[in-house]
Amino acid sequence: MLAKIIGWLPQLLDGARITILLTICAVSMGLLLSIFLALGKMSKNRILSKFCGAYIFFFRGTPLLMQLYFIYFGLPQINMALTINSRFFAAFLAFSLNSAAYCSEIIRAAIQSIDRGQFEASKALGFSKAQTMRLVIFPQSIRRLIPPVANEFIMVLKDASLVSIIALADLTKVTRAISSSSGTALVYIPAMILYLIMTAFFEFIFHRLEARFSRYEV
Amino acid sequence: MSMIRTEHLAKVFGDLAVLKDVNLEVEPGEVVVIIGPSGAGKSTFLRSLNGLEKMTSGKIFIEDELFYYRDHDKTISKMEAKKHKQLMLEMGMVFQRFNLFPHKTVLENVMLAPVHVKKMDKGRAEALAKELIGKVGLAEKQNEYPARLSGGQQQRVAIARALAMEPKMMLFDEPTSALDPELVGEVLNVMKDLADQGMTMLCVTHEMGFAREVADKVVFMANGRILEEGKPEEIFSNPKTPEARQFLRSVL
Repeated sequence: MLAKIIGWLPQLLDGARITILLTICAVSMGLLLSIFLALGKMSKNRILSKFCGAYIFFFRGTPLLMQLYFIYFGLPQINMALTINSRFFAAFLAFSLNSAAYCSEIIRAAIQSIDRGQFEASKALGFSKAQTMRLVIFPQSIRRLIPPVANEFIMVLKDASLVSIIALADLTKVTRAISSSSGTALVYIPAMILYLIMTAFFEFIFHRLEARFSRYEV
Repeated sequence: MSMIRTEHLAKVFGDLAVLKDVNLEVEPGEVVVIIGPSGAGKSTFLRSLNGLEKMTSGKIFIEDELFYYRDHDKTISKMEAKKHKQLMLEMGMVFQRFNLFPHKTVLENVMLAPVHVKKMDKGRAEALAKELIGKVGLAEKQNEYPARLSGGQQQRVAIARALAMEPKMMLFDEPTSALDPELVGEVLNVMKDLADQGMTMLCVTHEMGFAREVADKVVFMANGRILEEGKPEEIFSNPKTPEARQFLRSVL
């Protein structure tokens, strides 16, 4: 049994590499996009605010699986120029666009949880709006962002198993392939352990970050 | 020349008139204390001076320059943005709830605006900040985060932070109302020192002792209007309106 598991391990690790790479890239990109989305949605500009609201509504309101299908299979049928050859890139695109919608709500909630007095003090001291965000609001929001963002990483890590539908060899896809070729479902045990190790990795990193960003609190 | 002057300042919230025709003049070096029952519009008035509240109509002059002019929610004339900001920075503000930046140390709180708004050289800003922190008696706390300070200490830092922008005038919005009684004195002492050094001050407060002792002029507001203004002894010993009489009876 142990020998079998060791035999599967290189393939499983290859799959896990795709899974974790996709998760880290997609959520990082999603976070970056989500800052603009969140600020856009809170903007006084009605058109911008409505556009960002519609984006969030669309990506949270339709299944990620369908978004992935559509980006990989649907876009080329609208226009050949939109064909995405790399499966990884198609998955990255779908996951980051989707994650941006979720993260923007996390960021908006974190910004709005900051006391109004912080905005007022910044204004009275003469900070511009951009300076207020950069120097006062974002640094205080970060600590409040960490737990929900950690959650987002862990969710996406597992949602990443959806990429098997566009034949991207992530951990789930690899595991299923081994299971059907070897005729044993026991390969799910080491695969699930790998998922747990990756989850633990994110939990560890975010715990450290949380401690680092709470040092100014008593 | 007046430091600040308002003409016919009015503010309406829905159909509630919070401020009605408020006219006030503060001369350079003058300490003006605004008193009155809660809901009188004192804080709203103070906050509309530096733009934290938008007034509905009226004019504000700073050093005799028209700073802001609104008529029924339309800004009719507003000076060049740069000049406007420069004049706004002549007013420092101290809040009831301190509003220190919790993620910055005492020193960083005081340095932040000079460095980023005035583009002051870091070394100079630090020297200035240390001097001001010393002045409010917190030199040994300069590397602490605000959460580790008492309310009175936090408010003294907030005063130093406002002073670091070298304002010509300080606005105090109930600076001691959120403090435990035993911490009120230390903040009032810092404010007294400031008044003694000739700072122009406009304070909303419930500290009648401070008003009596430090104010050059006491302004009594009720129901969104200024009903009386005058020397502290006049207002306190001989209030003319029934509203002022009733208010002073209840607080003294």
